Amino acid sequence: MEFDELQKVWDSQNDKPLYAIDENALHNRIISKKNKGRHISNISEFLTILVNFATGAFILGINILKENPNISMYLLSAWMFSVAVYTLVSRSRRIKNDNLFDRSIRGDLFHAVSVANYQVKFSRLMRWNILPISLFMVLSVMESGKSIWLAVGTSVFLILANYAAGWEHNIYKTRKLELEILRDMLENDKQGELAAG
Amino acid sequence: MTEKDQSQIFESWLTQYKGLIFKVVRAYADISLDQDDLFQEITIQIWHSVPSFRQESSVTTWIYRIGLNTAIKWTTRKKRNPTEAIESVRHVLQESRTEPDERLIWLYEEIHKLDAIDRSLTLLLLDSFSYKEMAIILGISESNVGVKINRIKKQLITKSKKI
Repeated sequence: MEFDELQKVWDSQNDKPLYAIDENALHNRIISKKNKGRHISNISEFLTILVNFATGAFILGINILKENPNISMYLLSAWMFSVAVYTLVSRSRRIKNDNLFDRSIRGDLFHAVSVANYQVKFSRLMRWNILPISLFMVLSVMESGKSIWLAVGTSVFLILANYAAGWEHNIYKTRKLELEILRDMLENDKQGELAAG
Repeated sequence: MTEKDQSQIFESWLTQYKGLIFKVVRAYADISLDQDDLFQEITIQIWHSVPSFRQESSVTTWIYRIGLNTAIKWTTRKKRNPTEAIESVRHVLQESRTEPDERLIWLYEEIHKLDAIDRSLTLLLLDSFSYKEMAIILGISESNVGVKINRIKKQLITKSKKI
């Protein structure tokens, strides 16, 4: 064959799609991603509630027992309790939303995207949550007259925590994007079928 | 650019240029699991690339650029961690049921035998890109493209005479 002929062979595929989407396989993948998302959300929520509640209670206890209680530590403790309560409320809302989706491929896909959205929002919020916690911690270190280096060390640790939280947040964003791509693939395939009649 | 704009552009690109992505996927990944994986990876990279598209090149060139560069990196990674074929798993991308053209299958097999860069060049050559465009897409010199293309063309023509 001459090169022109090879090119004609190559061009012949432009008129017919090379691949089609297997909807059952797509559905299984969506369900698996949805379940994974829900599982991770459960763990994240559980840990956030536990850590914030336990740390808040610990800080409150220590502060009450101190000779000169620290206002910043009270604020930090109150903030942590609020975060634990907020997470509890968000969690119950998320679980309530589970009933809004049917078990069709589209329903499961939108459910999976909704779980992924929740994870992205939750991780973003938890990342920003480091900011007020840092502020209260640094203030309490300064208020109790401890070395400035302790405040610096605490800040460095919190900056690292923020970096790690950003990394985690990007993982959730990529997962959400993967689901949106699956949704686009499904919609595209449907459009293609309609166009083909 | 808002995320909504980005999604709209991405969706229209996916509708219009899905065939082009499939070509890259088929040229670089031979087992279904890898094809699913590479397709997903290319589409993710295309999504990320939407805000940086400045219309200095055509969308086709842009998508080819993203697709081929992703596929080349993916191939390097796959060489280190090859996928074990799990035939029992159903794959999202299924080969089209239309009557396969034996010559096209042969052409893809030949493309598969080439190294990662030559595969990209062959795809671009078959889709009638100029040497200059190929050089820009793959980040190699135009003269280098010329040398490689001549060799690939000769090789394909010689082999095609045997079928």
